[in-house]
Amino acid sequence: MNDEHKIIQQVYAAKEDMEEADRLIGAYMPFIRAETAKFLRRPPIEGHDDELSIAMIAFHEAIRGYSRTRGAFLKYAAMLIRSRLIDYQRSERRHQETVSLDTPAGEDDTPLGDTLADGKDESEELLIREATRAEIEELSRQMQEFGVSLTDVAENCPRQQRTLLACRKALWYAKEHPELLEELLQTKRLPVARLSAGSGTERKTLERHRKYMVALLLIYTNGYEIIRGHLTQVMKGVAV
Amino acid sequence: MNYMVMECHPGYAVLLDEEGRFRKAANLHYEVGQTVCDPVLMREGPSRQQKLIRWASGSFAAVAACFMMLIGLRYYQHNLAAYSSIYLTINPEVQMDLNRQGDVIRLEGGNEDGRQLLEGYTGKGKDKITVTDELIDRAIEMGFLSEGGQISFSIDTPDEALFREYGEELTDEVLRHLQDRFTITVEIVNSQTGETESTEGTQNSAPASQEIISVPAPSEQETAPADDDTDYGPAGDGVTDYGDSDYGPGSDGVTDYTAPAETAEEPPEADSGSSSYGESSYDGSNYEDDDDDGGDDDSDDSDDDDGDDGGDDDD
Repeated sequence: MNDEHKIIQQVYAAKEDMEEADRLIGAYMPFIRAETAKFLRRPPIEGHDDELSIAMIAFHEAIRGYSRTRGAFLKYAAMLIRSRLIDYQRSERRHQETVSLDTPAGEDDTPLGDTLADGKDESEELLIREATRAEIEELSRQMQEFGVSLTDVAENCPRQQRTLLACRKALWYAKEHPELLEELLQTKRLPVARLSAGSGTERKTLERHRKYMVALLLIYTNGYEIIRGHLTQVMKGVAV
Repeated sequence: MNYMVMECHPGYAVLLDEEGRFRKAANLHYEVGQTVCDPVLMREGPSRQQKLIRWASGSFAAVAACFMMLIGLRYYQHNLAAYSSIYLTINPEVQMDLNRQGDVIRLEGGNEDGRQLLEGYTGKGKDKITVTDELIDRAIEMGFLSEGGQISFSIDTPDEALFREYGEELTDEVLRHLQDRFTITVEIVNSQTGETESTEGTQNSAPASQEIISVPAPSEQETAPADDDTDYGPAGDGVTDYGDSDYGPGSDGVTDYTAPAETAEEPPEADSGSSSYGESSYDGSNYEDDDDDGGDDDSDDSDDDDGDDGGDDDD
């Protein structure tokens, strides 16, 4: 009974704090592994079986979606893990007709992927990935100055398309007025009033998604060309 | 759509899609900076709008369930719940429970003959008149009802008008049903008030006569004194007379019985609660000569006397 109370307290703490959620996932890894093994009917191999990663994200979802009215947490988590694994298995079945690049292509068991010319330069790709990683690390460091982490941004990201569009309008306005980005970097504060007045986006919307707006505006300051290059769709359909 | 891996945690990864959304997804052995195209995204909880829709649909379902329950309750009250009962007595006793529509919802034998009469018969869902006719036919077939017999219907209903309606319906129907076969008496009893109404039917004719007899309530019958010399109730004289036995070795030879009235030809009324013991013909027996013979002979004699008198049997 006390254990049950303890885990519920931990779950409620993990809902608010992502580090706490990571700790809880770490503490309940044997449970997650056991549920995955039950589904696979064999022990999962860490780093190899995607099912274990699916089970972990399902456990994370269980933390987010749990409330006391749902009964015992572990039963709820086990149910969620199982249903996510079933969904994953179904989606994987759809790709079964696709031939894997690892399929032996010839008599000498050479993988099919090795026989195809992909036109990509692997070393160049590795360099781009390293450069991207460097940009992301720099962005994370800069975001820390604002007291914002990437996980916070993921939590704070608008879910509805309408809200996302409103935030994009504010971003577009800031891009058109570089002095706003300068002000952001200098004051470490989001110029909500000016963004709202200039873009027509409601102040309440900007305040509610402040962390997300900080991340986007930082990306549109100098120095994040690769990430900006990835955001090909952001400015589409935005008109102030 | 392509996603850029922004951050990796043991349980999840933070991805950035091309539209600028930061999403959490299962960390399928990703590395920061990698671009992936088919991630397993974390499912978000229901939004406020979805919660509102869920609440509205839940409320609608609850209201619909209440409405269905009300309809069900009304149907139950009208069709399935017993509203009134009819106790059919020929010699077999049968209890018919009726719903508000007058259809039979339960049949139960009140005595052994009643159970025998209902054996293999299913009257559930039929109208009370149909069931009554069918039960009377069965009673005739099984020899329970013959010429000159009596059928009594004791009707238990909370509604006086309904009692009248049922009583008239049953009387008319039974007499009509049997008019070509038997002459019988139909008795309708209001089980609430004890009021009795008798109708005698004759062959090939309509009901011949109707008589309304008011019968005292059962509680009054129970408290009525059975004899002047009672040892019970307020009329008790305090002398129990238990020692004045006419049986066994303590018998004094004096029976104290009065001679039976010569004119008492009519059977005693059972309903009055009188035991008829005072009409015994023990004076004419050889009881005094057999003082020492013990109880067996006495009982034989009394059996014979009973047979002669036949007071109860004639009833």
